[in-house]
Amino acid sequence: MRSLQLLVLSLFALPPIAGLLLLILPKVLGRIVTILSVVALSAISVYLFVNFDKPFQILIPGYSDKAVMIADVLLLAYFAFIAIKRKSVLVGLLTIGQAIALGYLIKLLGNHEGGIHAQFYVDRLSLFMFLLINIVSGIIATYSLQYIDEEDCSPYRKKFFMFTMLWFIGVMNLVVSADNLEYFFLFFELTTLASYIFISFRKDKESVTNALRALWMNQIGGIAILGAMIFSLSTIGYETLSFQTLVTSAHTVGLLLPLALLAVAALIKGAQMPFSSWLLGAMVAPTPVSALLHSSTMVKIAPFIILRLAPAIKGTHLSLAIIALTGFVFLAAAISALAQDNFKRILAFSTVSLLGLMILMAAIGTQTAIVTSLILILFHGISKCMLFLNAGVLEKKFHLKSALDMDKLAESGPFTSFIVCIGFISLMLPPFGAFIGKWFSIEILGSTLRETRGLTALVMLAIACGGAVLSLLYFKVMGLLIARSGEKDKVTFETTHPLYNINLVLLLSLILAGVICLPFLLIGYFGPVASDVLGSAVAVDVQSNFSISIGNMSFPVIPMILAFLVLPVSLFISLFVRFKKVDRVKEYACGEKIDYKFNSFYFDTEFLLPYFKAVGLVFFALIIILTVI
Amino acid sequence: MQSIIILSILVLLAPLVGGLVYGIERKVKARMQNRMGPNILQPFYDFFKLADKRLVMVHSTHAFLGVMHFISIWVAVAVLIFGGDLILVIFLHLLSTALLIMGGFSTRSIFSHLGANRTAISILAYEPVLIIMAVSIYAVNGSFQISSIIGSEPLLYKMPLTFIALLLILPIKLKKSPFDVAEAHQEIAGGAEIEYSGIFFEAIYTAKWLDYIFVYALVFLFGGSNYLLGAGLVVGTFIYLNALDNSSARVDYRQMLKFSYFVALPVAFINLLITLFN
Repeated sequence: MRSLQLLVLSLFALPPIAGLLLLILPKVLGRIVTILSVVALSAISVYLFVNFDKPFQILIPGYSDKAVMIADVLLLAYFAFIAIKRKSVLVGLLTIGQAIALGYLIKLLGNHEGGIHAQFYVDRLSLFMFLLINIVSGIIATYSLQYIDEEDCSPYRKKFFMFTMLWFIGVMNLVVSADNLEYFFLFFELTTLASYIFISFRKDKESVTNALRALWMNQIGGIAILGAMIFSLSTIGYETLSFQTLVTSAHTVGLLLPLALLAVAALIKGAQMPFSSWLLGAMVAPTPVSALLHSSTMVKIAPFIILRLAPAIKGTHLSLAIIALTGFVFLAAAISALAQDNFKRILAFSTVSLLGLMILMAAIGTQTAIVTSLILILFHGISKCMLFLNAGVLEKKFHLKSALDMDKLAESGPFTSFIVCIGFISLMLPPFGAFIGKWFSIEILGSTLRETRGLTALVMLAIACGGAVLSLLYFKVMGLLIARSGEKDKVTFETTHPLYNINLVLLLSLILAGVICLPFLLIGYFGPVASDVLGSAVAVDVQSNFSISIGNMSFPVIPMILAFLVLPVSLFISLFVRFKKVDRVKEYACGEKIDYKFNSFYFDTEFLLPYFKAVGLVFFALIIILTVI
Repeated sequence: MQSIIILSILVLLAPLVGGLVYGIERKVKARMQNRMGPNILQPFYDFFKLADKRLVMVHSTHAFLGVMHFISIWVAVAVLIFGGDLILVIFLHLLSTALLIMGGFSTRSIFSHLGANRTAISILAYEPVLIIMAVSIYAVNGSFQISSIIGSEPLLYKMPLTFIALLLILPIKLKKSPFDVAEAHQEIAGGAEIEYSGIFFEAIYTAKWLDYIFVYALVFLFGGSNYLLGAGLVVGTFIYLNALDNSSARVDYRQMLKFSYFVALPVAFINLLITLFN
């Protein structure tokens, strides 16, 4: 037990230490330190998961409470400094708001000194997040060693970038294991700070504007958490700052306002409309940042918080409001994505959309829904990470940013084009994990229809349509980048920097391994994690007819094996297969000899975005109003 | 054990039956136009003719994806016949269409691209209705498993509107007029399949037969355990589809989308709501 606690602590401490070392060491040594530390982090998180038996708390010395308080104040002071330096009224006002709330909280804490228990709580959900955070972010960190090296900036700023990335990974590990809300608030705000630093990294006007937007939006989340703490302390029955106690006593107290505020913070972090623009604005940063924010870390705080809240909010008005919002966002973000041409923006909108689905599943909170949410979190993380890292390669090597310019990619960069293809397919088609998420969510919504009727039916409609829109979106992008002319029958892979290549291949094998191991993962990984989330055992059993039952759903293995053979395997073969003794013809072009620029349908859905945001705002208001009533 | 053998035989025979359906369809269509029409076995003669043609392709990836389209649609039909999960079957079918679309996109051919784009749009038009259909069946029947749907009482009486919605989108699925935008021969010369020829076109050609089996099997589900009713529905749908194909002109793809989202989808959804509030 003791050793596990130490290992968890090392997950917190190792990334910042490695980051500091990186700052002082020369380039090559710095690289080695980074790679070694991410390997160590991944190994530790795997070891923790394997050797874990029951949830434990981590006790830390009492003076750290004071330290956290001081850190909070310092952080707010820094935000105030940013507000003055960048002349941002909004950031300033929100910082003042946060300061007032924090001051009030400190006053309240004076009366409630005895109510605070252990500060960290590690269960399987934390370990699940550790695995995702450390392995995927580790891959991104090694990738960005090379990427940032090609960036046009001073060596110091390059080191600073890597330093920020590493301490951010450490903070993420802290976020998913903090139990005391005060600590949680600090770490939440630190991730906000990290997003500010990342987005403003390139220091041009657009970066700064977008960074400030990310800052103020997430500050609203911070205020929501502070509000949750204040309400929790002043509500009779809660009087606690512990996340766990809050969740477990919610049923007896009945008042859900603190939970609703936490959910609001989560939804803002998760870039749900109307707060989607901070995540979309993050595109101006170097690409590894997008990969980091979109796949394994930042936005995954959102489903994480909702998963933590799930046992308490299941079946309440609060969860209904969240379900309505996220179902709407799933469709709305997918439709908005259709109008985009920029590759990264397309990916960003699809992230917002899929995040909606994850949060939705977490908010439903049945056994199968929790498992589905976890599946989506994991596999979306890996696939999106691969796609974003590829976007980086496309920018650095092929100088492509817009999807419309990619129509010769399959000839100049077949490997990149293949990986992008697999990435997109893994988000929509069987047998990939993210598809399983989509499939299960439809069935789960279908099976809850009887109880909730109208609302869930509408949400289900939104999911059905949104899924189809997302498929169209992925086809639209894929269609532009897989075309090869008949003269290029033989595929020769392009060479990219090994640090790029290795990481992409690693992610690709993770995706494929994920598909092959899915039945085992369901039994040995998702099932236990979901049990810890719900606090009651989730039955994941092997049935006699080669299927796995999860709650009231069944996952048939044989069709999935067939689908695996049909899709990823055959795509792989299709790259290498050569038909001998077959005559070759040119493409039919109606007798005309033209060099055609391929294009896709143009969807004019941009004008809908303000309306979507307005509707999203209404849903946010509903979340609060429904809980107060 | 015995049932597994029977089902396997059914799966193996599926392309043959599909070919026969196609043969009958050509005959029926011709009779509707006051023509004699080809022999019912004509699709099979065509099959052997295609097999005998010179081997020609644009490039190997493209040709291979065509073959995989055929295999994947067979997989979808097999899972359907073995009574798997209805939603999974719908998505397996999407997978096979995806392979066709990717085949269409994989060449630098104008018509092929246009056809693939339009096929993707058709997916947008019909997939939500299919999913609503599956969920409605669940709301009535309490199961997504086809094996239990086929053993239950007839669905048609409880969800007539859903059946109508299915009839409305089937022409999109089967690329029949008025919704044959995806392969419109006069405009885009066959669309995504244009670059396939000889033995590789054979794959696309037989995949179409399997598509018939897939679609008519979905229709058959509405009969539930009353197989006679199911068969009647299949025959009725068959005649309806061909009559419609003969008597209507092609619409724009935008009109198709609008039709699907403002007519077919609401019709299916209303039925779902009626089931829920009953």
